[in-house]
Amino acid sequence: MRRNSADMEIALDVPRLRAVPSEREPAPATPAVEPSDAELLARVAERDRAAFEILYGRYVRPIFGLALRRLGDRGHAEDAVQEAFAAIWRSAATYRPERGAAGGWLYTVARNAIVDRLRRNGPAAGAELPELASAEPGPSERAEESDTSFRVHRALEELQPREREVIELAYWSGMSQSEVAEYLGLPLGTVKTRTRSGLARLASMLEGELL
Amino acid sequence: MNREPRFDELMDAETTGEERERLRHVHELLLQAGPPPELTPKLRTAPGSESGVVHLQRRSVKRRGLLLLAAAVSIAAVFAAGYGVANSRHGGTTATGVVAKTVALKGTAAVPKAEATLEVWKPQAGNWPMTLSVSGLPKLPQHVYYEVYLVRNGKPWAPCGAFRVGSPSQALTLRLNAPYKLRKGDTWVVTRPAPGGRDPGKTVLRPVTA
Repeated sequence: MRRNSADMEIALDVPRLRAVPSEREPAPATPAVEPSDAELLARVAERDRAAFEILYGRYVRPIFGLALRRLGDRGHAEDAVQEAFAAIWRSAATYRPERGAAGGWLYTVARNAIVDRLRRNGPAAGAELPELASAEPGPSERAEESDTSFRVHRALEELQPREREVIELAYWSGMSQSEVAEYLGLPLGTVKTRTRSGLARLASMLEGELL
Repeated sequence: MNREPRFDELMDAETTGEERERLRHVHELLLQAGPPPELTPKLRTAPGSESGVVHLQRRSVKRRGLLLLAAAVSIAAVFAAGYGVANSRHGGTTATGVVAKTVALKGTAAVPKAEATLEVWKPQAGNWPMTLSVSGLPKLPQHVYYEVYLVRNGKPWAPCGAFRVGSPSQALTLRLNAPYKLRKGDTWVVTRPAPGGRDPGKTVLRPVTA
């Protein structure tokens, strides 16, 4: 919503809250070896609650994103996510590593839960198909886009928080690199270094899947 | 408006050749994928206990009804507690009136360091004066403003005022107004206009939930 620029310009300045930024990038902590998705699924099959929570943390946002795109309604998408994780909990023992990557299996389980929810509820009003042909992507293109988003969002969850932070700000906050640097109280060079290392890490994770 | 980052702005000149192209491809994938969704309070933690997960599919209508009743009681209790706390903290009255509700807001993924406190005062002639103290929001382009939205039934429902910030590190205190009859369960978010100016835009600050 736009307002006349005279509106609401009644702000009071207060002193800067942020500390003076350090000029040096601190050495990154040595990352602990994280269990793979396949290892976690094997533990979930044995009813390991902690493993389930790690898996949940890795996949909840990608699966929620997938559900939102397919269902077009936050409430239905929430239900679909919960149903997807209930299915993962119930059927983790059926995962066979020799048949493919755990990520693919999780994607399939999530997609099935979303499709089930779609069948039960029908698409939300905003997600109804138009009667006339349009230039919008068709079902196969939409499915491919959903798959890409799922994999990219899943990979983002694997980044170190400080890399994920600069990438999310750079891509989706509308801020320039200089503004991100000012916002985080970091030197511009540090922001660029973190962005580059984050992109490189994403490239490694997505290699063979999307690159 | 949101601007798409340019790859050459993100990248230093030292990254060249195949590596640069590899990273450019990731850049395009990020643009294609769009932002990951902000999790709703319900999804922020894994489904409860083991039995909660196993029985998720077997929720009965009765159970759902009980949960709704419990939620309604909780909301009423929180509203009442907030009223009491705010009253006791402010001694009941100030120059503006009596605080009816205090809402703590936290930045979403796009602005994780932003935070705000919204104080809603007792109504005056049907208007609910509000004070918003906010910090950590980035400056927006010219003629684009943050919006404070009344949330009803989980969705931004009605605007309560717009504002702008000078810089991300600048904290502000604003006086706004909700010219609506408030209901139990109402809360507020701060949004930023979406590309194309669709209302209410993307949520940048949402209530902190217990």
